[in-house]
Amino acid sequence: MSSSVSELKERHAAAIETVNSLRERLKQKRQQLLDVDVAGYSRSQGRAPVSFGPTDLVCCRTLQGHAGKVYSLDWTSERNRIVSASQDGRLIVWNALTSQKTHAIKLPCAWVMTCAFSPTGQSVACGGLDSVCSIFNLNSPTDKDGNLPVSRMLSGHKGYVSCCQYVPDEDTHLITSSGDQTCVLWDITTGLRTSVFGGEFQSGHTADVLSVSISGSNSRMFVSGSCDSTARLWDTRVASRAVRTFHGHEGDVNTVKFFPDGNRFGTGSDDGTCRLFDIRTGHQLQVYYQQHGENEIPHVTSIAFSISGRLLFAGYSNGDCYVWDTLLAKVGHHSGRIGSYHLPFPLQVVLNLGSLQNSHEGRITCLGLSADGSALCTGSWDTNLKDILIQELITVMKLKVCQYISVDAQFDSLQNNAGVIQSKLARFGLLEGTGGCSESLGSERLVNLLLNLRFWLTSFCCFLLP
Amino acid sequence: MQSDRSDSRGLNTQRTQSLTGSGDTRGKHRIQAELKRLEQETRFLEEELEQLDKTEKASAACNETLRNVEAIPDPLLPITNGPLNPLWDRWFERPKESRGCRCWIL
Repeated sequence: MSSSVSELKERHAAAIETVNSLRERLKQKRQQLLDVDVAGYSRSQGRAPVSFGPTDLVCCRTLQGHAGKVYSLDWTSERNRIVSASQDGRLIVWNALTSQKTHAIKLPCAWVMTCAFSPTGQSVACGGLDSVCSIFNLNSPTDKDGNLPVSRMLSGHKGYVSCCQYVPDEDTHLITSSGDQTCVLWDITTGLRTSVFGGEFQSGHTADVLSVSISGSNSRMFVSGSCDSTARLWDTRVASRAVRTFHGHEGDVNTVKFFPDGNRFGTGSDDGTCRLFDIRTGHQLQVYYQQHGENEIPHVTSIAFSISGRLLFAGYSNGDCYVWDTLLAKVGHHSGRIGSYHLPFPLQVVLNLGSLQNSHEGRITCLGLSADGSALCTGSWDTNLKDILIQELITVMKLKVCQYISVDAQFDSLQNNAGVIQSKLARFGLLEGTGGCSESLGSERLVNLLLNLRFWLTSFCCFLLP
Repeated sequence: MQSDRSDSRGLNTQRTQSLTGSGDTRGKHRIQAELKRLEQETRFLEEELEQLDKTEKASAACNETLRNVEAIPDPLLPITNGPLNPLWDRWFERPKESRGCRCWIL
């Protein structure tokens, strides 16, 4: 008995050697095919980086209501609603345009990690440490305690549900990823598993799966990202093995997102990089990495592409959110069109959304683009959701000033600095009986903020203080 | 986690035995399963190596990426091709519940 075991162990060791050497050969062969990356190619075609400044992204809504960290958010496929999941054990459904909450769902298990909106907008799904994916029909009547009942529980995972996404165009199927190393395609009408991808008896991820993304152009294809440092492409018709495994990352792959054209996908990892992979060839087309100047490399926790794919929004574990030009692999830089004023701080090469939002408190944990790509929503540790926009107009600037005041006030109020709030609000006519913005701006933070604004309309340059 | 992963229904009886001291049987099944997985992995890797002989270079995919990105109008870009959709600007309208701020820009 024991010699047979030791013989097996030898064969096992030999098999590992074989696999490793094959992997090495694959790596070398692939390297030879990587004649250029996306940035090199785009430069050779004469493309310039997107000209982008901190003021091109304007926070135009702050959705307040969660009492804990916001872990996940998802937009509807019609344009304006968002579902968010928080550490406070609730899902909230928002109308992002009006900032109204339409539903606040108390969850049976507070440890939620993910949420998703169904394609028709009639249902939301969530999952977390309870290993179950719960479905709520938003049109159901509430129970006697005023809570929305669970309309379906999808049980079967042997580990936490890290991510879920409905299959596009139907409310009847969704895909989950789990700490049990599998992804599952569920039939919601029956509550049963249609297919299990990976796991005990099949080839698949060898560690927790943290994220899934379904292709928008071919809903039979999805990618998954895992703690085994790989991303895998799956065809829902073939559960026995992944179509392709993508190596390259040197740490957990925390997030995956299909590229808008459906032939590529992006990833974000604990190794601090985002990468772009091509699904047909398997090539790693681009790495997005910027030295953050710190000892510890921040992990990439969430990513999203703009609707064309030109922009890659990446949230990091230190709370930063960078906007990458995917074609030129540059973080969007300031164009310098701020007039003749000297900034009190050096021009930032990096466009960091976190720096626009009191980042000493804000830590961006999740993000998502609206269906038409016109707005980005971020969820953060300060328990708010913030909608961020590009393209500044007069009304937006007014709104922005007010919004920043209100956010400011919120933080200051946390520090019991009521007197300061009052005077700030008064300057901007937000207290009854007070005047407009004609007074000079004394607040240091406001001055920095306003100096950081970039104007599309030059007639407003006079707004800047001498 | 790894030890949990290798427990299957077939191993439950083995587990009882191992608790009473027959650790080898459990080890054997686990190694066999691992071996099988590795052999399968080897086959997949060999297939992939063969496929790579017929795979085009990255520049082709880069070209396609560039063309696809530039073909789609993007509301978040400072400059983008049309058609522009006026609905993209709906975020600029003040939300209805705003506090009637009277601030204005000089």
